[in-house]
Amino acid sequence: MDRLFHNLFNFEAPESAGTKIQLRAFELFTVVYTLIYTWEWAFYVPRLSNVVLPLGLANYINVEFFFGEWATVNAIIITLCCIIPFLFKRLRWLYALAFILFHLQYVVRFSQGEIPHSANLVGFSLMGLALAGLFIRDIKKSLPFAFGFTLFYIGLGYTSAGISKLVATGVTWVDGHHLWLWIGEKGIDILSLTGSFELNWLQELALSSRFIATLILTFGLVTELSGLLIWWKRWRPYITVFLIGMHIGIDLTMNIFFKTFTIQLIIMGFPWNKLMNKLRNSVYFSRLKPLKHILLY
Amino acid sequence: MQKYKHIIYTVLLINIVLVSTHEGEFWPFSIFPMFSQAGIPWSRGVVENVQDTTRADLWDSKPITAIDNRILPLEKHGIHSIDYANYISKTKDWNTKKINGLRSTFGIDNHPGQMWMATRVVGSINEQDSVVIQAIPMFLFTADSTYKNPRLFSE
Repeated sequence: MDRLFHNLFNFEAPESAGTKIQLRAFELFTVVYTLIYTWEWAFYVPRLSNVVLPLGLANYINVEFFFGEWATVNAIIITLCCIIPFLFKRLRWLYALAFILFHLQYVVRFSQGEIPHSANLVGFSLMGLALAGLFIRDIKKSLPFAFGFTLFYIGLGYTSAGISKLVATGVTWVDGHHLWLWIGEKGIDILSLTGSFELNWLQELALSSRFIATLILTFGLVTELSGLLIWWKRWRPYITVFLIGMHIGIDLTMNIFFKTFTIQLIIMGFPWNKLMNKLRNSVYFSRLKPLKHILLY
Repeated sequence: MQKYKHIIYTVLLINIVLVSTHEGEFWPFSIFPMFSQAGIPWSRGVVENVQDTTRADLWDSKPITAIDNRILPLEKHGIHSIDYANYISKTKDWNTKKINGLRSTFGIDNHPGQMWMATRVVGSINEQDSVVIQAIPMFLFTADSTYKNPRLFSE
């Protein structure tokens, strides 16, 4: 287990500019996407009138209180609780408050019966920053912790998605007929949204052969089950490529693109810090030195 | 590193307790069950932009291909298509409040002359291993009236 934790939390050359840039990029991504989701949901919530399906804390408190302007007030507080620790690199416990309010914003918005997972990894990233802000005050240690914590839950999330499929359906989950059915279902969603729908080349290929459809689902299931490999530095770039490939496949076959997951995988799944450290003596890199105190830590 | 381990183990324990007591979901904790149940029939929704209410098959269930050239693009009307699909496919008891809720989502009062048919769409695999997609008309909304499918609702 020690080796696993070493793989998750220890960076080579932790004081190097490359490592700091990658960690701050992770923090910037978390703040930006927290705010994007927060405001997107805040603008939608005033249309809601009753709770159809209570999620999370909505099981215990009546979140109808938030319908209306309170979702906007909540969004303003979340914004401040993210911007202050990110820009000033202090009061980092504010991320904990941001996380709780972000949870509330989610359960208020998605009280209508749909349970989307597109913001879950951003949620884990903010949770990692929140825990780091509460328990690991030194930013030099707290950012690597938040990064490793998020990687832990990315791996766990993908693998548990694969296990869920095996538990709910069994190994026959990969039967190509199932993909045919999902292509039809998601095609209706697109038709409803845009008023038209046409099959793309991969959908036509999958629908032309049960065997090819089965191969596509097999690739997806094996990739998900292998998600835990992201915990180990040696395997991280390879499984990241496969996971991104899987998301492109999901987009092409079922018209669902997990954009946030994909961006996060690109930021976290590759050893950008090593690459940047190799480039650090380049002209372009040295031009960034005046910004170092603001952008890094 | 010891502190990191304690945090990870504690959060993992909280994760397990929360998802096991909340049907697999306590955001952001989740067992990520999307698409885990394969092969089961599904139900979604579209809105048909009706041009002619006198046609004989108005209230008939029909293949989606019979109406797919006159589907209302919900994005142009600011209606969240997934919320609409959940609403029309998961509502069991269509009481007055539910029907009016659907009507107000459309905001058809602002579109005089328009006739929009809230339509459930169901998909399944038949015995010949083909995907069959059927459209089931539910409610016809106009700017001043709401009509229920007489073949589904007795009154």
